[in-house]
Amino acid sequence: MTGRSTESPRAMRTSARDRAGGLRYAVAFVLAIAALATLSLYRETMGFPMFYLVLLTTMLFWVTQATSWNILSGYSGYFSFGQAAYVGVGAYTTAVLYGRHQINFYLTLVVSAALCAVLALAVGALAFRLRSLRGEIFALLTLAVPFILAALARIRPEIDGGQGVVVPIPPFPAELGRFQDFLYLINLLVAGAAVAVAFGMQQSRAGWALAAIRDAEDVAEGLGVATFRYKLQALVTSAVIGGVGGSVFALQIGFVAVESVFNLTIPLFVIVMSVLGGRTHWFGPVIGVAFIVLLQDRLTASGLGDWQLIALGVVLAGLVIIAPDGLYARLRARPVPVLATFALVTAALWIPDLPAEPLDAILAGMLAATAVALWRPRRRGAVPQTRAAETSAAVTDADAGTPAVTAADASAVARPSDAAKPATPATEPGEVLVECRGVARYFGGVRALEDVTLTIREGELVGLVGPNGSGKTTLVGLLSGNLRPTRGSIRVAGHEITGLPPHRVAHVGVARTYQIPRPFASMTVRDNVAMAIMFGRSPEPLAAARRGAQRHLEVVGLDALADVYPSALNLHQRQLLEMARALATDPKLLLLDEALAGLNPAEIDNAVEVLRRIHRSGVTIVIVEHLLRVVNQLATRIIVLDRGTCLADGDPRAVMSDPAVIQAYLGKRAHA
Amino acid sequence: MITLQAALAGALIGGLYALMAAGVSVTWGVLRIINLAHFGMILLSAYLTFQLVTSWGMDPILTLVVTVPGMFVLGGAIQWAYDRLGISELNSLLLSFGLLILMVQAVSIVWSADFQRMHESANPYATGSVTVGGLVFPITTLLAFGFAVSLIAGAHVALQRTFLGRALRACAEDPAVAAAFGIDHRRIGTLLGAAAGATAAVAGMLFALANALTPASAFEWFGTVFAVVILGGIGHLVGTLAAGVLVGMVSGVVSVVLSPAAAPFVLFSAIVLALLLRPQGLFATRGAA
Amino acid sequence: MLEIRDLDAFYGDAQALWNVSLDVHSGETVSIIGTNGAGKTTLVNSIAGIHRSRRGRIAIDGVDVTGVPAHRVCEHGVAIVPEGRRVFPHMSVYDNLCLGAYRAGARPSYRDTLNEVYELFPRLAQRRDQRAGSLSGGEQQMLAIGRAMMARPRLLLLDEPSLGLAPVMVDAVFEAIEAISARDVAVLLVEQDVERALDISSRAYLLAEGRVVAGDTAEALRRSDEVRRSVLGL
Repeated sequence: MTGRSTESPRAMRTSARDRAGGLRYAVAFVLAIAALATLSLYRETMGFPMFYLVLLTTMLFWVTQATSWNILSGYSGYFSFGQAAYVGVGAYTTAVLYGRHQINFYLTLVVSAALCAVLALAVGALAFRLRSLRGEIFALLTLAVPFILAALARIRPEIDGGQGVVVPIPPFPAELGRFQDFLYLINLLVAGAAVAVAFGMQQSRAGWALAAIRDAEDVAEGLGVATFRYKLQALVTSAVIGGVGGSVFALQIGFVAVESVFNLTIPLFVIVMSVLGGRTHWFGPVIGVAFIVLLQDRLTASGLGDWQLIALGVVLAGLVIIAPDGLYARLRARPVPVLATFALVTAALWIPDLPAEPLDAILAGMLAATAVALWRPRRRGAVPQTRAAETSAAVTDADAGTPAVTAADASAVARPSDAAKPATPATEPGEVLVECRGVARYFGGVRALEDVTLTIREGELVGLVGPNGSGKTTLVGLLSGNLRPTRGSIRVAGHEITGLPPHRVAHVGVARTYQIPRPFASMTVRDNVAMAIMFGRSPEPLAAARRGAQRHLEVVGLDALADVYPSALNLHQRQLLEMARALATDPKLLLLDEALAGLNPAEIDNAVEVLRRIHRSGVTIVIVEHLLRVVNQLATRIIVLDRGTCLADGDPRAVMSDPAVIQAYLGKRAHA
Repeated sequence: MITLQAALAGALIGGLYALMAAGVSVTWGVLRIINLAHFGMILLSAYLTFQLVTSWGMDPILTLVVTVPGMFVLGGAIQWAYDRLGISELNSLLLSFGLLILMVQAVSIVWSADFQRMHESANPYATGSVTVGGLVFPITTLLAFGFAVSLIAGAHVALQRTFLGRALRACAEDPAVAAAFGIDHRRIGTLLGAAAGATAAVAGMLFALANALTPASAFEWFGTVFAVVILGGIGHLVGTLAAGVLVGMVSGVVSVVLSPAAAPFVLFSAIVLALLLRPQGLFATRGAA
Repeated sequence: MLEIRDLDAFYGDAQALWNVSLDVHSGETVSIIGTNGAGKTTLVNSIAGIHRSRRGRIAIDGVDVTGVPAHRVCEHGVAIVPEGRRVFPHMSVYDNLCLGAYRAGARPSYRDTLNEVYELFPRLAQRRDQRAGSLSGGEQQMLAIGRAMMARPRLLLLDEPSLGLAPVMVDAVFEAIEAISARDVAVLLVEQDVERALDISSRAYLLAEGRVVAGDTAEALRRSDEVRRSVLGL
């Protein structure tokens, strides 16, 4: 959803180490806030210029807004262009209630939070419900909302009426110093809270859900993630933070008018700041804000104020092209060179007093550090690659480049396994698990499935075969809830699943893999599997989920690669990951859609062994496969589809020697 | 009577919105790119019209001779760049947003943020009007509607009847198979972007005929234009025209019956309803054109 | 007409074709048979340029078209009837057909070609204004073949034309293929329906797991046991 992701995802996600270091973060955070607070509380003692405090106040305002944007748009990938709506609602709430009606200032913060929450609920309920064009429609809706609200404010005299509203300075404790100090401290509190919320959210279940939504939303749904709920949650959180920030903003500007709070530059700045800093991480917006606000300030100071927006436009366009993942990812990848450059350049300019204003030195340092961060060396030898290569050598020992073998050879290879290991069911087939009655599915004028009635019992390993176009994948789609039947009913484990959304079908106990594996790119192999446990039928917290994930990885043989990112895996390994992830949802029914496509013989044998292990553990399996020799080895029962209907159903040997089946495969006028 | 006047005038102005929307809608539907820079091109054209009329005394409509080729090239270049970069639909939103800001700022630097308006002496169309029955129609409004309808109708016919039009529609549905029959996605995209640019030039000129210009105008068009795009169905020209007329008519009537600033709500509520009930647009029946 | 030498094909890091070599001569009908997953569609897509080839050589009338994008390959007289038909669902039958004649070599005479197509497939003429997506499977297949014919190809690629069709429809489709072949068009037919494919071909290749495992006259392959074993996975 967010375009190309070309950076090593390792830098983007907090790893297991960070989880343990949560306490360290908390301590560092408190210290940072305290340090920033002293800048104001002891300003005069330290001789800290007021001008810098004002600049910091501006930064804090933007940190709040950018973090607010990032919580929804960065984490989930649903871009919002409507940040100005929150600022506007917040500012006007405070302006009208406090400025005009003298209601307690702090109370207005609560009211604006509530109003923004309601607004977010309304927009989210509308936009997130529609299945098609979700991201784009949402973006456009958010673009329109501030205009509507601005118009509302303009016409209604109770709000603005075109005159603007004065916001006087509220009473504040004299010990804090001047009004500017008070403003700074209150912004610090709000920004601090915003960052803390963003941090907490990223680590929480919701954060994982949002990341999965960003990477592959429909796969996440198939695993049981209630995507609607999490998106709405993020939207409302974002709105509340933005609104409170807007209320404080009203205080800052002292006079609230439609143009100043519903301004389109607000979403522009917020988007640039977050995209520049790094969208997927709570710290990204902070970096982006520091950079952009400083840049803007220096541009204005040197008389180039008009060029601010042009600079911003160029930065945004350039970012989307060069570094869509932002600076934080680059910083994490190579912290030492980047930070060292910053320190060196800044010091080199500051110490000899080269520019008159130290801020210019800092800006120069940041620019230099950014250049270093963005520069990518030619060589792309990532370390995980070799680990994966070693392990893949262990997994597959056949040479992929062997010369063409004749069909005789191929079946010779297959036969020993055939004879040695006939498929034995783990137990006798048990209760009825799946019941299809009169199921049909049409696509326009094409009848993919017609009147399919079948039953699958617990413990079976069913091979679903048939010529191309016979409807196998359609049937899998129907069983997993990705497709709705045009007619007929489907019951799984006693529940009618017709019409249920995929994540509810997942909770009933159905899991499926895709022919083209779709892992969550920003998570490690282990975390991919852990996601299934965290959001499956019996959800568990992260740590427990990770332990469980490790066990599932052992079943498929990927345990050595648990800390690797999916981009470093080969196709076979990614398919095994798909299987592990599907397994981890603790399914009653596992649907495998051509899980063996593109594999070499050794990999296929390995996969067959894995599937046997899975079957033995008590999972009912339906496998769609073209490789009939594999299906013959594995399946307890074969269902043959042909042109959308069930042609044969029963014992593998019997079915495969059924003349009708042979005819379906070989041709309609087969003769011996 | 006043209501009828407002409704009809609004319907005519709606034509202009439809013209603005057409460029965005078709590029979105066919190429899967949401090009916010389109508004920048409309703005640029409007200002160029103003400048050419004010400095060189050109007839406003004749300025099209300059602006249309210019925007044709610019539109094509922007689209070519998008394709070359291979960006996704959502990233195109961001990138074009950046471009839009650039363009608006550039305009602001060159022409300042003050309102600019073509002087009446230079703009022969500004004051004229046609009276039918008791209804008065300003020439500018009639011109806007006339141009809009002709261009959209022409484009629609081209999409339906010509090989190029078929190629565009095929590209929208299945680019891989279209390519197998000789359709070069990049060339067709560039051509489409250029055509959209040309419509932006005309829209800009029409806007400048009747309105005072300020750089922020580009942002004022957003709400209405996207309402038209969504209501008309993404990629559907006739639907866009109908939606434009409808939106214009409703805005006109609401302005008179309720109040001028109430129009955005009605619009917004209309979009909300439309998205709920018919997400593919009020007038669309699926697929492009 | 068509010459393929040592073609390898990949999807990312997964190899789908190994060292594939084959020939099709003008006016011939050649079949590629084999189970699913054998790489038949990959092969056809590689020839058409839909799948970009990295290793090996594909030549049409002696001209090397390896790695050439699809929209240029078709200029050499190659037309494809894709797997699953892939007509343009929201466009009319007429528009679909006209689109087929888009390439410069086919456009001037498109009206004549259209009449030929209507003669061969009268049902398409009846439904010329209907949206392609609302046609039945068999009608869509005819449309896809007609669309390819509109390109006046010298090499026609058909990917599983019998897929999902009732036998009587399959009869009509194969009759059409024979009629096209009679006009001196080289035909490369990928099929699961081995019998029918061998019936109308002069030669055939057996593809299994990405490799050509046999290539011979249709007669010889029909008699051999290899085919039956390979396709049934025995």
